[in-house]
Amino acid sequence: METQERPQTSADAAATDEPPDDAALVVEGLAKRFGSGEAAVTAVDDVSFSVGRGSVVGLLGPNGAGKTTTIKAILGMVLPDAGSVRIDGIDVSEQPSAAYANVDAMLEGARNDYWRLTVRENLRYFATIGGVDPDSVTARHERLLDQLDLTEKADEAVRDLSRGMKQKVSLASVLATDADVVFLDEPTLGLDVESSLTLRRELRRIVDERSLTVVLCSHDMDVIEAVCDRVVIMNDGRVIADDTVERLLSGDGTQRFSVASSDIGEALLARLRKRFEVTQVTTDGERTRVEVATDSEGFYDLTDQLRAADVTLDSVNTAQRDLEDVFLGLTDDGEGRR
Amino acid sequence: MTGQPAGETPRPASYYHLARAVLVREFLLFVRYPANAIGGIVVSLFFFGLLFYGGRMIAGQALTDSLEGIVVGYFLWTLAVGAYSSISNDIGSEVQWGTLERHIMTPFGFAPVALLKGVAKVVRTFLTSAVILAVMLLLTDTTLQLPVVTITVVAGLAIASVLGLGFAAGGVAVLYKRIGNWLNLLQFGFILLISAPAFDLGWTKFLPLAQGSALLQRAMIDGTRLWEFPALDLLVLVGVAVGYVVLGYALFEAATRRARRLGVLGDY
Repeated sequence: METQERPQTSADAAATDEPPDDAALVVEGLAKRFGSGEAAVTAVDDVSFSVGRGSVVGLLGPNGAGKTTTIKAILGMVLPDAGSVRIDGIDVSEQPSAAYANVDAMLEGARNDYWRLTVRENLRYFATIGGVDPDSVTARHERLLDQLDLTEKADEAVRDLSRGMKQKVSLASVLATDADVVFLDEPTLGLDVESSLTLRRELRRIVDERSLTVVLCSHDMDVIEAVCDRVVIMNDGRVIADDTVERLLSGDGTQRFSVASSDIGEALLARLRKRFEVTQVTTDGERTRVEVATDSEGFYDLTDQLRAADVTLDSVNTAQRDLEDVFLGLTDDGEGRR
Repeated sequence: MTGQPAGETPRPASYYHLARAVLVREFLLFVRYPANAIGGIVVSLFFFGLLFYGGRMIAGQALTDSLEGIVVGYFLWTLAVGAYSSISNDIGSEVQWGTLERHIMTPFGFAPVALLKGVAKVVRTFLTSAVILAVMLLLTDTTLQLPVVTITVVAGLAIASVLGLGFAAGGVAVLYKRIGNWLNLLQFGFILLISAPAFDLGWTKFLPLAQGSALLQRAMIDGTRLWEFPALDLLVLVGVAVGYVVLGYALFEAATRRARRLGVLGDY
């Protein structure tokens, strides 16, 4: 199988936009290096993005891209070398208590709650720590338990629950507060397919219901695609794309068309390569399948070329790009990488 | 604040709610998982039994003459060890569980939360140490004065200084991670502090526990009430307590700040 470079997306325009006045989160010029001398590692390099109030932004990137350091720097867990973070217009380095007053986070790989307390006790405790009288949000807690299928387990110690349930409790304890800016790092980690589907559906519903601003980190592209309004993609400590899911998926307006025939020879293939952006060529016995990235006008041109070469088509398909294609295209060591 | 579904208006939590949440959590863990507390009591009494019966075999009358002082000192030691280990281990556990971050981000600020958690630990330690004291008195057939208010205030201030050490140790644990067992060795240093001659060797009264230990001995052996102590002695007691809490918390703050700079806060 031969694989060509994936088409480059132009979806990083938003990264250079000025943050909106009502942005819930503004990150500007964030930089962090760990270590010193030759051993120094640049974890985050001049990262800037903003998140509008009530929107859900996915933070994507391969391992070591700088996502976790960025989130930790936003949350004050890591002191950046340069740059600033403003939450609700308040600089976190100048007034941390005020800036984090309405912020909560679910961090990857951590319990985030107390396993020896029951589910309900955790919700009450963390609501209080988050600055809310738990008696005033009892109804919300009951609804949260219901939405996350935790009602039956509400009075059981978290330590006795399955891993998936624990993950849900962790999320519930974050949503139990009155935070309006929430950071979720791998919220579906360890969940089975059904639980993951339930969680992403309920998460989106809760977000809309409470107008939450969410920064969501996940390796699960389906979660990002289902829940997020916008995606910030990082690689090597830098933001390489920042746009809405729709625009990232539509890319530069091209689609991928796949044609298969037993009549496509080397000479025709060479002509097609010169004229079109051939993204993939596969052969299966006599039959050759050619994938071309082009717009609808280009597709008509392609069929004309094939007709002129007297090619009988076995099949014609359009291939829909998903977020994983976009992500791989941007983070591969190809042209897509900035 | 976030948009709310109809019929629900979240009210802000006050310090009362915060104190209630922290104390209720401590209480729930205490009653729901009594094995830890009972285990601590049994181990403490086992070591006291070794000290008492072993000492009587070796030292005989000498031990009997100073038995009251030993019981009071051991009572204070169990209090100090309980408060120190619970606060330093608690910080280490919170880092490991990812809950420390949530306490740091609280709108109350971390200091009041940490202080309330410290108070909750001290209250719990008082309960277990009271049981240990009662068993020690029965075991040794000793009689002590038990002016509750005086004991609570003097012992409370004495172990406040240990809370400061607990915060400092917690800070070191945040920075250097799994060194809890080494830090627990410090507990044996408390024996020296408790037996320091605070009244005879003036400077020692500024060490953690020393002044509190000396005053507690007077209260429980001689029956001296709180208001009968010289004002200067009480002032030193309060000053040492506040001083070590502030110093310990400052060290904790410095350690967490360094951990944030190194990016190791929460990385276990």
